[in-house]
Amino acid sequence: MNGKFLFELLCEEIPANALPAARQQLVSSLTEKLLEAGVTFSRILGFSTSRRLALWVEGLPSETPARVEEVLGPPASVAFAPDGSLTRAGEGFARAHGVAPEELQVVEGPKGRVVAAKKHIPGLALPDLLAHIVPAAVTGLHFPKTMRWGEGEYVFVRPVHRIVALWGLETLDQVVRFAIFGVASGASTLGHRVTHPGEVLLAGVQDLEDYTKRLRQAGVELDPGRRGELFRQRAEELAAAVGCRVREDRALEDEHVELVEYPGLVRGELDPAWLSLPEEVIVTTLRHHQKCLVLEKEGRVAPYFLAVCDRPDDPQGHVRRGNEWVAGARLADAHFFFHQDLALPLSATAEKLTRVAFHTQLGSFADKAQRLEALVVRLAESLGLRGLVEPLKTAARLAKADLATHMVGEFPELQGVMGGIYARHEGYGPEVWQAIAEQYVPAGQDGPIPQSITGALLGVADRLDTLAALFSVGEIPSGSKDPFALRRHALSVVRICGEFPLHLLLADAVSWASAPFGGGGVSELASFLRERERFFLETKGLPAPVADAVLTARWGLPADDLAVGQALATLWQTPEFMGLATAFKRVRNMVGKEGEGAWAPERLREPAEKALASKVAGLEQELAALAASKAWGQALQLLASLAEPLDRFFTDVLVMCPEAELRQARLGLLARIQRLFLQLADVSKLQVAN
Amino acid sequence: MRAGEVALELQAVILNLLRFWGEEGCLVQQPYDLEVGAGTMHPETFLRVLGPEPYRVAYVQPSRRPADARFGENPFRLGKHLQLQVILKPSPPNVQGLYLRSLEALGIDPAVHDVRFEEDNWESPTLGAWGVGWQVLLDGMEITQFTYFQQAGGLDLKPISAEITYGLERMAMFLQRKTSIYEVEWVSGVPYGAVRHRDEVELSRYAFQRADVAMLRRHFEDWEREGFRCLEGEDPLVIPALEAALKMSHLFNLLDARGAISTTERVAMIARVRKLAVATAKAYVEQRKRAGFPLLSGGAA
Repeated sequence: MNGKFLFELLCEEIPANALPAARQQLVSSLTEKLLEAGVTFSRILGFSTSRRLALWVEGLPSETPARVEEVLGPPASVAFAPDGSLTRAGEGFARAHGVAPEELQVVEGPKGRVVAAKKHIPGLALPDLLAHIVPAAVTGLHFPKTMRWGEGEYVFVRPVHRIVALWGLETLDQVVRFAIFGVASGASTLGHRVTHPGEVLLAGVQDLEDYTKRLRQAGVELDPGRRGELFRQRAEELAAAVGCRVREDRALEDEHVELVEYPGLVRGELDPAWLSLPEEVIVTTLRHHQKCLVLEKEGRVAPYFLAVCDRPDDPQGHVRRGNEWVAGARLADAHFFFHQDLALPLSATAEKLTRVAFHTQLGSFADKAQRLEALVVRLAESLGLRGLVEPLKTAARLAKADLATHMVGEFPELQGVMGGIYARHEGYGPEVWQAIAEQYVPAGQDGPIPQSITGALLGVADRLDTLAALFSVGEIPSGSKDPFALRRHALSVVRICGEFPLHLLLADAVSWASAPFGGGGVSELASFLRERERFFLETKGLPAPVADAVLTARWGLPADDLAVGQALATLWQTPEFMGLATAFKRVRNMVGKEGEGAWAPERLREPAEKALASKVAGLEQELAALAASKAWGQALQLLASLAEPLDRFFTDVLVMCPEAELRQARLGLLARIQRLFLQLADVSKLQVAN
Repeated sequence: MRAGEVALELQAVILNLLRFWGEEGCLVQQPYDLEVGAGTMHPETFLRVLGPEPYRVAYVQPSRRPADARFGENPFRLGKHLQLQVILKPSPPNVQGLYLRSLEALGIDPAVHDVRFEEDNWESPTLGAWGVGWQVLLDGMEITQFTYFQQAGGLDLKPISAEITYGLERMAMFLQRKTSIYEVEWVSGVPYGAVRHRDEVELSRYAFQRADVAMLRRHFEDWEREGFRCLEGEDPLVIPALEAALKMSHLFNLLDARGAISTTERVAMIARVRKLAVATAKAYVEQRKRAGFPLLSGGAA
């Protein structure tokens, strides 16, 4: 079990965002194919650089396990003569499968008795297996975008130039022969395109270290993890040398790792004059065009940046000077745009929005801004925030104006940020400019929510408008199709309401948002938001049955719904609650099936039902008081106190009695209990899970 | 450039690149004599990449983007810039290597620079065309767009062409380390601004302020009708039809810069240009087929 296998595919530069998944797929696909063939191994590792994908497997057996396979042949009556001797057909079958005539057996096949041969299949030499499964694993890789090249016969992520496939026990001395994309496998690759453009012989490699060393000597650092470490070390050195720190940008640092074959960085200096630009503009300009990291001193942007380069050195200083020139040019360009934007007040810029499309069927961003104004006012009023109505109106009118600025035209990722900066510059108050700046926060699934209440409200209103608008024209996400990222928008609405928190009734907010579109798609949107709320509750640690119990009873006040769920989560596995779940399940089934009856306590006559009715009547007020003070744990305990009388009721009382009026009264009592529970949670949902 | 070596003038950049690619078997063509948005719209690219015939061509194409014009005030933006376009059909296996050697023709020795190919795909909705490729970064500067065409005029391509597009002003500006395009030396002693600044001012004024919207719209309609009329009958007129599509495209760009196109109209107008471009592409392939694909044996140059 000391077999080793090395695979390397050298091609033209692969898009950075495709590489992590490609490495992982390559490993999992080959693992699966090896296991399918009965082959185990001690380790398998996937690597890549910007222009190669590689696999290392070790601890492989030299052949696949031998196995026995039963092959069914002709009917017994054809294979054997009446005297029991083999016919020519029988002999032929035995010969064809390399089995001695006396080893043939008769078995019951799907179509009657047939002869069968137990075939001993010897193991397959591992190189032969690999020659078969590696091409399948490579051609089966999925990439976000593939292409053809040359004569157009092959499809892959980029044109392929070299394939290395080497097998060996001690050293890798045997080429595993196959061809993919018209390239035959071999024993050598190429070094770094610029620093070591020659052949790198890989035959004779002894172990993984030897392989990575040979590449390192050819200017290539194969392991993305190692490249990440080297980048970090180098970045810290370069920053420390000028008394600065690297402004953290994880996503960009991860991207750097995939952009190169060797993790090089150079430090460039900025003309300090550019530091008069807003920090967001400096950072985004350098990041957007050159993927540069920015250095900071005492939390402020310093006049230095780090540019990635695919080489360890800068022998004549061209790399640094080139990047400095580009950074200066880009910042000068940004400076030009920034001042051009400042020359026009935002309210005038907003007038250009009639020409910026929101969606082909849904008009322009000017239309959207109008709807946004009406909606955000309505949300604020429903929360009793009259004092914020005026600033919110202004913020909504100006919110989208930056989409028509030069700056956001250049750097779409600065939407909102620029609007906030320009509004502040023009002297609008913080309630206005913060709302504009924070309307797209959080940008992703995680990340902090807005800090200002006007930002939270504007963000919720904007996303609800987008959701209602797109649902009204049938742009509803399905499966993996969500081109407008509506799931993310909906989750942000729930997160902001739940975490800020905003005491908005989402069910009402959805219908207000949908009103301008004639209310189309309202119920779909409501259940869509409810599903996002489920995700929200589960990410906050609620067990799935608890989230389900809460959302079946109530949804759309994520902060309260979460608090109810958290209270329930501490109680739901107590014996008391488990009994309550069973009893409430009976209540739900009965009311669901037989109807809600009519509340008429005077008609009840058994002691158990009278006791239950009086308990319920007293409980309602108490529960309302506890809910008002958000004492959810106590409220749930109060419901639990119904377990015992409910049990007695179901033991002593026959709900479906022959007298119609009495039956209605008993159903009426149960319906009232159901309503009581459903203010908090449908605890019947907890029963199944228990 | 090598240490101590003088950076190339714009004119030398053009001459060196054309000579280099000419020696690599490209036919050195001339710019198309109509307003186009990019070298890709030149029939030597848009039509030649269609069908099975091999082809290699290089040319400079003045390219107009009226909406990018800045009255000659922005040191980095032009309404009309120069592209040097190379088409290699089929794309040869060593195309990246050839490209790096073309940099040497500009005095850039890749061994002492950082050259990276970063993903950047290309799409032209008006031409029904898209491709996959990179922007090439030299020491952090985007100097070339590199594309493997996958589709043009709505047709799948086979063989695949490699397109290499050098942005000449930006490249010269970078090589000469100028802070304004207008300071780039066309030749020693003659700055770019002395040759082109006034055009930029006037073309900007025209595109943003002066252009007659009603007339442009009328002509858009006229050329659309004329284009399709060219494609009627047994023996369609492919080049005139393409020229009509190019005129529509430029008229659209002017109207857009003038702020005369509404959001809904925009998509519809692009679709109208594409429809003619797609019909022209189809007619071209049929025409070449009837002619027996004459360049199939031997290649272009």
